[in-house]
Amino acid sequence: MKAFVAALVFAAIVAAGMSIVLNSVQQSSYEAFATGGARVGDPGHNLVGPS
Amino acid sequence: MASFARLIRLTIGAWAFLLLVIALPAPSVAQQVNPTASSVKEQQLLQELNRIQGRVSIPDQRSGVLVQPAGRDWREFRNVTLRWIGGIAILGMLAVLVIFYLSRGMVRLESGRSGRSIVRFPAFERFVHWVTAACFIVLAISGLNITFGRPLLLPLIGFEAFSEWSQWAKYAHIYLSFPFTIGVVVIFLIWIAGNIPNRVDVDWLKRGGGIVGHDHPPAYRFNAGQKAIYWIVIIGGTAVAVSGYLLMFPFYLSGIEGMQWAQIVHSIVAVLFVAAMLAHIYIGTIGMEGAFEAMGSGTVDVNWAKEHHSLWVEEEQAKARAASDGATRPVAAE
Repeated sequence: MKAFVAALVFAAIVAAGMSIVLNSVQQSSYEAFATGGARVGDPGHNLVGPS
Repeated sequence: MASFARLIRLTIGAWAFLLLVIALPAPSVAQQVNPTASSVKEQQLLQELNRIQGRVSIPDQRSGVLVQPAGRDWREFRNVTLRWIGGIAILGMLAVLVIFYLSRGMVRLESGRSGRSIVRFPAFERFVHWVTAACFIVLAISGLNITFGRPLLLPLIGFEAFSEWSQWAKYAHIYLSFPFTIGVVVIFLIWIAGNIPNRVDVDWLKRGGGIVGHDHPPAYRFNAGQKAIYWIVIIGGTAVAVSGYLLMFPFYLSGIEGMQWAQIVHSIVAVLFVAAMLAHIYIGTIGMEGAFEAMGSGTVDVNWAKEHHSLWVEEEQAKARAASDGATRPVAAE
């Protein structure tokens, strides 16, 4: 049981850490594939814009 | 005299003509130029039908292609073919397991419990197993949502709930892929020594592995069935990880076609992976008495170990004897 709980905690920590790393490295698609002139001001709460 | 001179001129002319013929290089096949070699073929034209492409002023010129024929082929695979492959693989495996359980039932511990236990998997190995397993379950559910969520789940829970669930599932799918990949790599390293196929595996397979019938063929720490699962995890895990990271970092290493291929590989391997893991979960839980304890507490009953891994038990007992002999051996006085 301890190994199982430790595994869940480890997975959660690594996932949270990678979310921080990816969010600092990657851009949302509405930013990555367009210039400033073509960007949507507020893409809203969706899968391609900021959450 | 005149006829002699004519003969001389004729001879010189003949030689000159002969030299000219020899000196001129014969036109080779390689040097022939096909003026239509680079022209557009009829098949290429047909493949480009209905392509919608224009010019864009933004840096990403790929966005100028609005519709491409290869994209329609990929969409057909994703929306139709993949659902058939996944449905048949996963539902087929579930059906086989249900039929097998109803006909064979749980593989019982025939010699009963001895009351003595032996360490099967130490804490670190169970930790790595559960990291990989927990991540795999979330990745499988969130991945299946991408393929089957829209036709199956959306009509049940509506657009709002499906959108919210899919967004969180997508986050979980991306971020948990990293601990999953770490788990696959560590599993490869810690269990590779015990998972190299050998002659014992051939005998184990010939005798049905103790699953079919009530035979108990000998096996070392991992039997042939467990070795098969190990290599499915290593090869399948590597395939989904590599193809998944290609999709996670679009256009870093490949273009649109490469990403379509990555998605095809990722999705097919993933649904087959899920089907295989259903069988693994079955035999590790309700399929075999005492099997879950190996990954639950880490210890198994000695009789269970003797029935399913008799050669491994002999190895462990020999190690224990050697250790106790070393501990009790008298030390020479100095």
